[in-house]
Amino acid sequence: MLEVLHRNAAVASFLKSDPIGSARTGATPNTVIHRQGKSAVRWFHPSVPATAAPVVIVMPLINTWTVWDLLPGRSVVERLLEAGVPVYLVDWGRPGKEDAARPLSDYADVLLGRVFDRVRRHAASQAYPQGLDAIGYCVGGTFLAVHLALHPEQVGRAAFVCTPIDFHQSGRLATWASPSDFPLDAIVDNLGNYPADMMRSSFRWLRPSGVTRKWVSLWEHAEDPAFQQLWAALEQWNDDNVDFPGETYREYVRRCYFDNALVAGGWQVGNRPVSLANVKVPALSVAAAQDHIVPPPAAHALASCWGGPVETVTINGGHVGVSVGRKLPATLIAWLRA
Amino acid sequence: MARSDGSQMATEMYEAWEKSMTTWWDQVLESPAFLKSMGSGVTQQVQGRRAYEDAVDTTLEKFHLPTRADLTRVARITSLLEDRLLSLEDRLLALEDRLVASEKATLQARIDAGEARLAAEDRLAAIEDRLIAIAEKLGSTLEEPTARPRRGRKEG
Repeated sequence: MLEVLHRNAAVASFLKSDPIGSARTGATPNTVIHRQGKSAVRWFHPSVPATAAPVVIVMPLINTWTVWDLLPGRSVVERLLEAGVPVYLVDWGRPGKEDAARPLSDYADVLLGRVFDRVRRHAASQAYPQGLDAIGYCVGGTFLAVHLALHPEQVGRAAFVCTPIDFHQSGRLATWASPSDFPLDAIVDNLGNYPADMMRSSFRWLRPSGVTRKWVSLWEHAEDPAFQQLWAALEQWNDDNVDFPGETYREYVRRCYFDNALVAGGWQVGNRPVSLANVKVPALSVAAAQDHIVPPPAAHALASCWGGPVETVTINGGHVGVSVGRKLPATLIAWLRA
Repeated sequence: MARSDGSQMATEMYEAWEKSMTTWWDQVLESPAFLKSMGSGVTQQVQGRRAYEDAVDTTLEKFHLPTRADLTRVARITSLLEDRLLSLEDRLLALEDRLVASEKATLQARIDAGEARLAAEDRLAAIEDRLIAIAEKLGSTLEEPTARPRRGRKEG
């Protein structure tokens, strides 16, 4: 009983120090090489000479990018740089009401197209090894897939991490996002964007036990400073959703969740068909075994609709957990070096 | 840290509770009744937010202050202008690429022309050498009859 009280006191003292507010995420040195609207392309300063083609990381539009550079030693970006892979990252920024009318084609076609163009120019100026690869995480991967379907020659290889492809296998999210029950048009018509706080609350409701579980984990690691630091950084990131631009959200939910169009077909962006079968470059699909947002079948469905060879890897962990674990960067580096 | 019985018991109790709650939540959160009420609840929530935002805008208008809608409109115009600027930048970069490619092609053509000229000069020089050689040969052939004794005639 004394130990329980001791742990309670340790947790209380930890929380008193405002660990969530003071967590410093996204600390790997970088320079913005291109801006468009709220989004930016971040070029990370190399820590060793480049030995592989540069990679463009497309992050999801629903959170900040820092989860892939959460803390030193817990950063996918840092590990890629250490392995000699030049890293560029698409940071979508914080869309505002003025972005509500932007269609999905603005992000998945025009903006990403410009990103690849500017990265290619910058990489040439740095004399990096020839070629360009891409990695998409979560919804960022879905946007990357749509972009590559429209521009199949854009990259040499593409990796998709916890990326929903078969949305009808997305577990509870697929159940909730049913055309008959989910008031998609009411949200976009009334609010313009899908607000960050609603998104945060829906993710919490997705697995209500997660709310208590995180406190229990903190309590169990009451005397583990490394865990506490990671816990605080993840809490900060988790609470930092961004607004999803309305019209893009409407098309995304309608085409992906309602129609499952990446698998079923019939989706056109800018009058061009979105067909993953058109993309012949090698792809990697990484799924997290305990992912309740994008379960492995939803991610690995890539193998059945992609035009080129697809390697599938399932890593132990949850949707966010894999991003801060050590297995994901090792998997990506091995694949990029193959 | 090794766990005491108390802490172990607390963890086990929590895990049992979590398991039962998860099962319960799974039933609730995927039931048709929940989906229906979630849909109507979200609709009411967004309509309420919209009504609040409209009310705030109306109040600001009455005080002759810019409303959020005004600011959004201005920001949207700026954003569209930026899009146009970026499209122009795209076209400029494409033109620059074409210019660089054309400069490269021009340079290559000049190099090729220079090399062709050198080759032509070499060929001309070779032809000239051959002509000189032929001329010399011809000259010596023309001079030969005077220099050489005539055949068939014996000097008396």
